[in-house]
Amino acid sequence: MNKIEAKNVDVYYGAKQALFDINMDIEANKVTALIGPSGCGKSTFLRCLNRMNDVIDICKVSGVVKINDYDINQKDTDVVRLREKVGMIFQKPNPFPKTIYENISYGPEIHGVAQSKSEMDNIVEESLRKAALWEEVKDRIHEPGTGLSGGQQQRLCIARTISIKPEIILMDEPCSALDPIATAQIEELIDELRKEHTIIIVTHSMSQAARVSQNTGFFHLGKLIEVGSTDKIFKNPTQQQTQDYITGRFG
Amino acid sequence: MNSVIFLTIVLLALSSYFFGRKKAILIQSNKRLTALPKFYGYYLAIWCGAPAFLLYALWSIFEPSIVRFFILSDYSSQGLLEGELNLFYEKVKSLSRNQYSGELTAELQRSAEKYLNFRDIAKWSKVVIVLSLLIASTGYAYTKISNNTKTREPVEIFLKGVFFLSSLAAILTTIGIIFSLLFQTIEFFQVIPLFDFVFGMHWYPAKAFVRDASEALDPSMYSDTFGAVPIFAGTFFIALIAMCVAIPIGLLSGIYMAEYASKRLRQYAKPVIEILAGIPTVVYGFFAALTVGPFLKDLGLSLGLEVSAESALAAGGVMGIMIIPFISSLSDDVITSVPQNLRDGSYAMGATKSETIKRVIIPAALPGIVGSILLGVSRAIGETMIVVMASGLAANLTLNPLESTSTITAQIVVILIGDQQFGDPKTQAAFALGLSLFIVTLVLNIVALSVVKKYREKYE
Ligand SMILES: Nc1ncnc2c1ncn2[C@@H]1O[C@H](COP(=O)(O)OP(=O)(O)OP(=O)(O)O)[C@@H](O)[C@H]1O
Ligand SMILES: [Mg+2]
Repeated sequence: MNKIEAKNVDVYYGAKQALFDINMDIEANKVTALIGPSGCGKSTFLRCLNRMNDVIDICKVSGVVKINDYDINQKDTDVVRLREKVGMIFQKPNPFPKTIYENISYGPEIHGVAQSKSEMDNIVEESLRKAALWEEVKDRIHEPGTGLSGGQQQRLCIARTISIKPEIILMDEPCSALDPIATAQIEELIDELRKEHTIIIVTHSMSQAARVSQNTGFFHLGKLIEVGSTDKIFKNPTQQQTQDYITGRFG
Repeated sequence: MNSVIFLTIVLLALSSYFFGRKKAILIQSNKRLTALPKFYGYYLAIWCGAPAFLLYALWSIFEPSIVRFFILSDYSSQGLLEGELNLFYEKVKSLSRNQYSGELTAELQRSAEKYLNFRDIAKWSKVVIVLSLLIASTGYAYTKISNNTKTREPVEIFLKGVFFLSSLAAILTTIGIIFSLLFQTIEFFQVIPLFDFVFGMHWYPAKAFVRDASEALDPSMYSDTFGAVPIFAGTFFIALIAMCVAIPIGLLSGIYMAEYASKRLRQYAKPVIEILAGIPTVVYGFFAALTVGPFLKDLGLSLGLEVSAESALAAGGVMGIMIIPFISSLSDDVITSVPQNLRDGSYAMGATKSETIKRVIIPAALPGIVGSILLGVSRAIGETMIVVMASGLAANLTLNPLESTSTITAQIVVILIGDQQFGDPKTQAAFALGLSLFIVTLVLNIVALSVVKKYREKYE
């Protein structure tokens, strides 16, 4: 069964339509990459999956987005529960202006996950370990998270997200502000996280999509042109546009 | 006469702008200019106006003392005291205006005639010399204008000079005010011991009524008169009441404006709040004195409480209302400038709006909010009219908000209305209070600004 099924999704920013009739299935415990030229609607689609478009006043979403066979676009969907299940990593690392510890404990606290201080300590350590950050920060977890390097901050944000054990993690160009070494670390991490989470990653780097993903979807001008296994999309696309984009002829 | 000269200079400078530009445009028809024609205009206007104006200003400053010197030079050999010379000179001047009513002497008459004479000469020579300087400098600059005159640099230098002089004037007046405060305060403390002022428990400046000069310098006259504790306490007490009103309401409305209000509402409500900040404090003052004070008194009566018609509560409460817009609008600004990606990060964790505000946005904006509160406190401490009108003028030492107290600013008013003399400790006490107030608000402002600055560095 598919983890996520999007059916006939249209998105408008005011009068301007940003996504046109998107239909896409996303498999569980795989990494799905979304690629396409700038402004084609990748971020917008990603934000449909945890209803972050609600935050933007002028944004209107229609269509069906089913997660675990439940349509999240219904009126009575509990957005707090939804976002507990669907975490999100942003393009620019955005740690809260709090300590490293508090950054991680934020999620478990608002969702009432931990019953005691020691349980919380465990969650913090486990999340930092999973995000491959523990060794680097274990002596300074009570210092501000904003004092870390860019790559460390991004891993802190990943640790923050996995602290509440989401089933799905959405990543919007998570490496675009990072150097190659930090990028390699995050990519390795993504492969590790795939065991427990379903991951959808937006990226501008073809090679990154090829390295980390099992499935790939190609967007162009608000439409989903082609979706399939990464191998097939990169080696043997059915659409001419996909071929052109992947070989760098436009975009 | 003076304004005529001044206007003439301005008009001539204006017209020379057009002459300069015209000449440049004529030259332009066959040679390339080094700058736009308007720079030639500015150049000529500056050469026309600036030297003449400078001379005119210097002349006006020095003329009176030079005239005085010439008049009094006839008498300087007679061994008169400085004071007698001054008096004589004042008599000469009033005689020359036909306003003298004392005894007429031949000397006086002669000097008055001479004075008038000198003034006449000075006046006309001023006109002639200033205008000839103007013509000379304009003519010089006009003949110098050619296609490759450097006009841009002199204009820039001149403008830089104007900016520099303006800021110099601002700084010098501030320093002058501080020094005059300082000198008078030092004189005050030569009569009243610093210790008595800072730790004294009784403030009755009305008691310091001195009959003659010998009494004025006798410290025993002032025991228990200038103890500032009651008014320092009153100042902080009223400011405290004001902040108890202003901080919660201001902060909550700032948060509402920044986070909840729709764009439309914000667009109208924010200017309205900012208009509130522009209401003159005297209006708040009579609101406090005529509406809030009596209301509290009646309310107290019906509850069986003794409430003075002029109470710290009325003054502090209304002062708090006055400060609300400051805190609201400043904290609205700092909250709005918290980066959107922090909000997104929090929402994406499944936090609700109020959780996000409480746990992410307020902590991030805290330094700016603290800065706005400190600025509010310094307004509260410096506020005068509301206290004068609504909280009475007697400096009671009390912590009961239903009684009347007084503040530093209100006491300065008390001291300086009615009979006063320069150099008497009662008047100087006002300077000592002014200096204390200045120091307190200065420290508050410095702390507030540095907190706000730290906040800016964190996000940019
Ligand atoms: N908040 C917004 N308000 C109005 N229009 C928006 C908003 N966000 C995105 N859009 C528009 O929607 C379209 C899709 O934007 P989106 O951010 O999804 O593109 P993207 O594929 O993520 O691009 P990039 O690769 O540059 O991040 C663009 O045309 C953009 O101008
Ligand atoms: Mg994007």
